Amino acid sequence: MKLREAGRAGEREVEILAHQGTQLRVRIDGREVSAQVEPLAAGGAVLSIDGRRFHIAGARRKDTILVAVGPRTFDFVRVEEGARHGFHGLTTPQITAPMPGKVLRVLVEPGDAVGAGQPLVVLEAMKMETTLAAESDAIVKRVAVEAGQMVDHGAVLIELSPANPSPSAPESGSPES
Amino acid sequence: MAKRRIKKLLIANRGEIALRIIRTARMMGIKTVAVYSEADARSTHAAAADEARLIGPPEASKSYLNIDAIIAAARETDADAIHPGYGFLSERAEFAQAAADAGIIFVGPRADVMAKLGDKVAARAIAAAANVPVVPGLETIEPAAARDFAARSGFPVLVKAAAGGGGRGMRVVESLEGLDGALEAASREALAAFGDGRVFLEKYLARPRHIEVQFLGDEHGNVIAMGERECSIQRRHQKIIEESPAPGLAEATRAAMIDSALRLARAAGYTNAGTAEFLVQDDHFYFLEVNARLQVEHPVTEIRFGCDLVAEQLKIAMGERLAPVAAPRGCAIEGRVYAEDAANGFRPATGTVLDLRIPAGPGVRFDTHLAAGAEIGAFYDGLLGKLICWGADRDQARRRMLAAFDEFAVLGVTNTAGFLRDIVASEPFARADLSTRFVEEFFAEPARVEQPEMDAALIAAALAAQAAPSAAKAEANGRRAAAIRSPWAELGAFELWRRR
Repeated sequence: MKLREAGRAGEREVEILAHQGTQLRVRIDGREVSAQVEPLAAGGAVLSIDGRRFHIAGARRKDTILVAVGPRTFDFVRVEEGARHGFHGLTTPQITAPMPGKVLRVLVEPGDAVGAGQPLVVLEAMKMETTLAAESDAIVKRVAVEAGQMVDHGAVLIELSPANPSPSAPESGSPES
Repeated sequence: MAKRRIKKLLIANRGEIALRIIRTARMMGIKTVAVYSEADARSTHAAAADEARLIGPPEASKSYLNIDAIIAAARETDADAIHPGYGFLSERAEFAQAAADAGIIFVGPRADVMAKLGDKVAARAIAAAANVPVVPGLETIEPAAARDFAARSGFPVLVKAAAGGGGRGMRVVESLEGLDGALEAASREALAAFGDGRVFLEKYLARPRHIEVQFLGDEHGNVIAMGERECSIQRRHQKIIEESPAPGLAEATRAAMIDSALRLARAAGYTNAGTAEFLVQDDHFYFLEVNARLQVEHPVTEIRFGCDLVAEQLKIAMGERLAPVAAPRGCAIEGRVYAEDAANGFRPATGTVLDLRIPAGPGVRFDTHLAAGAEIGAFYDGLLGKLICWGADRDQARRRMLAAFDEFAVLGVTNTAGFLRDIVASEPFARADLSTRFVEEFFAEPARVEQPEMDAALIAAALAAQAAPSAAKAEANGRRAAAIRSPWAELGAFELWRRR
């Protein structure tokens, strides 16, 4: 299973190889790791790994997997196998609202070439301005919102297409599985 | 002024502070009325009070900022006093006045005092008259005047809202090019947040500490101070870690600051609890503003002085005289856990609390309104809770805090607890190398997660991904079969998740 931390580039791969009782064998980015998982009555589990013990808990919501390891929270997105072929290295093809709020400004137009880190949309939520930026080089394919509009959590604001589509890889090539 | 009893207190707030005020009122034998918006219908603060009144839809402007609705709720429930908490209407003079006009005791300073001090410009004038040093500054929205001020005092310049507090609409301008844009943006944000677009400019100190003095004034002319709080560790100009005493602060500077705060409070005719905020650099201190209310970080003072500041507020509001202050003991540190993603520019997060672990133990206090199943939405401030630890000295308080953070967990809402733990564990924090630039200096990049911890996170994610389908099957096939197939499905978080 391929995972990406939300809002960050870089993929991790994790596979459960065996799960017998409390013993767990997993492969993480090609490295084999053994661990012990003991479920707790109150919820979550204690995971022992490398001589350390962590209190872990996890839950899934659509493609997002939320995890707590001790006080630290992780927000993973499941990366579909093969999906990357269709987007030629584009980290995220869609810019979505991370929370409900109001669109203050749209800073790009369809057809604009944008660079990694370039601001695309300014949202106002929780009385603060949040700027959403491109995570990789791209072309703005569609602007789905306008300034002043209220948007919900997860609403698509901007669609991006790859900056340099290679002619040999058709964009519709991503398998639906 | 004559003594009067408060029999029933309405709390014009929500979240952890509403709950905290209700607890003290109950201890004092005072009945409580909670007010809540539609978004908070199932919240812990509404459940904790003796009565609860719906005051409007989720938008704060129509509920927790709705003066008419709150005064009406107080009248209907025969509340004889209102505690505003912090944020929302706590520093709105017209709210204090509306309460007074309705014959209801407002637990805070008088409306006219609040109006004077709540306005940064007027407050500076009072401070200057009371011989309290201030940072050079100017109120203007005129680009020409702003440019002139910046030329005289030198860059960087801080641009902020004249009304309100909490760092909203605040911007640091490094050079002349950015000035016009910053004025405009600050004015727009100030207008949206406070309904008042006036903007204030001041000289920006390069590496100051933020230290504040807690004071109390009664209606008999007595004013006392309860030490200082160091609040230098901030993100987006908002505090995230506070402690008392301020480590390494020169005794003469501390005494002069406390004296200044008392002069200021007396000059303003201040009653009830208030805080004078200062910037401190190279043993010089400059008055910033008065927060005419209870502060978020008030527990730091409570723990160190062994007092209950809300109880003190209520006693003052009932016309009682201030009692002498006990000697402070040891050190207290607070960390504020926010629903934010520290790894992504502190972007606000939302979600449902699926699993919750609250720390405990000697010297550990955790103030929160969280409960399993609670929805954290985008309508209000994202404060999830405050961890406050006491120690005989700073190092013991710090170690207790680390241990307590290791016991803490929230699943379902991305939050800053891990980031706070990283700070408290860090070498710069241990040696108290504090300034308001602490986070940008030492944590511009979030601390790297060590491999065993990252592995644990990835394993938890893989187990969660695997468990979800079998959890769904459990609904169809009966739980037993699913439990045998997947041990992870037994885990509590999924029990909760499945029910939704």
